[in-house]
Amino acid sequence: MEPSPSRDTVVIAHYGRLRRLCRLLLGDPQEAEDVVQEVFLKAHEAEQLGRAPMDWAAWLTRVAVNACRDRRRAGGWMRFRLRSRPIDDLPLVADAPGPGDVAVSEDTRRRIWTAFRGLPRRQQEVFALRYIEEQATADVAVALGLSPGSVKRHLYRAVRHLRRALEDAR
Amino acid sequence: MNACLSDDALARAHADLASIAERAHLAACAACTARSRQMRRDLDLITAVLRDSREPLARVTRTRRRWLPAAVGLSAAAVALLWVEVAVWRAVTPVPPTMQPQEVAAILTDVSASLFSVSGDPASAPADAAPLSLESMAREVDSTLTGGEP
Repeated sequence: MEPSPSRDTVVIAHYGRLRRLCRLLLGDPQEAEDVVQEVFLKAHEAEQLGRAPMDWAAWLTRVAVNACRDRRRAGGWMRFRLRSRPIDDLPLVADAPGPGDVAVSEDTRRRIWTAFRGLPRRQQEVFALRYIEEQATADVAVALGLSPGSVKRHLYRAVRHLRRALEDAR
Repeated sequence: MNACLSDDALARAHADLASIAERAHLAACAACTARSRQMRRDLDLITAVLRDSREPLARVTRTRRRWLPAAVGLSAAAVALLWVEVAVWRAVTPVPPTMQPQEVAAILTDVSASLFSVSGDPASAPADAAPLSLESMAREVDSTLTGGEP
């Protein structure tokens, strides 16, 4: 049997991915950071209690998505109180626009982000996991507690909505 | 051959929801294949933007605007409280009764008669006497205290 990876290994392997996912789902970098810390704390507790999952990636994703949902349910006041200014954020990418950023106009980026935020939460989650995290449909279904068919329907609606926003930008 | 797939049908194909007929058409039609590739490129672009670019600051502005209704509501509540205090509360609060000058004079007369009665009984005021004014009562009290001298 394969030994369970150490805590540091798990953190190193999944920290960036979870942070990006939570940022995408919450829209606030500081809150996303808090959620990721919370997720790794839960992972530590699970490990201490001898309930370490076989598949850390799926477990962490599921816990992170649930934590993001809890944060969103907590209401607007908590989000306002905890909301950080984007200017304080440490960017995931370099401040200078890369070739891809230059190629995509500011208007197009804004439209894509606006369209994404206009999606229902479930569609945001499905799109983020399926396309940003590049998970298989079956894994997305497990992470979100949905059937694969439901994941596909959410994905279809999300793709249709986002593509329309992109076409409007052209 | 079937008509080319609609954009919705292509999106369904990307989500693995296309029917067998739609998949068969997609495999055979060069035009639809090209459109499907374009859709794939669009999705790659959308994914890249969401993954690598910062979210525009418009969200912060929107968050601030979200507080506008709350601020308006609080202001309206403050105005309503002020109105309740000024109009309603004062209207329902009973005003202390004010006495007419005649009532005051009558009470003072009774008090005066009780205080300065010689026989122990209250001195009754003459029936036909006109109501005393405050000045005349003051003079009467003064003359009583000074032994009848004006």
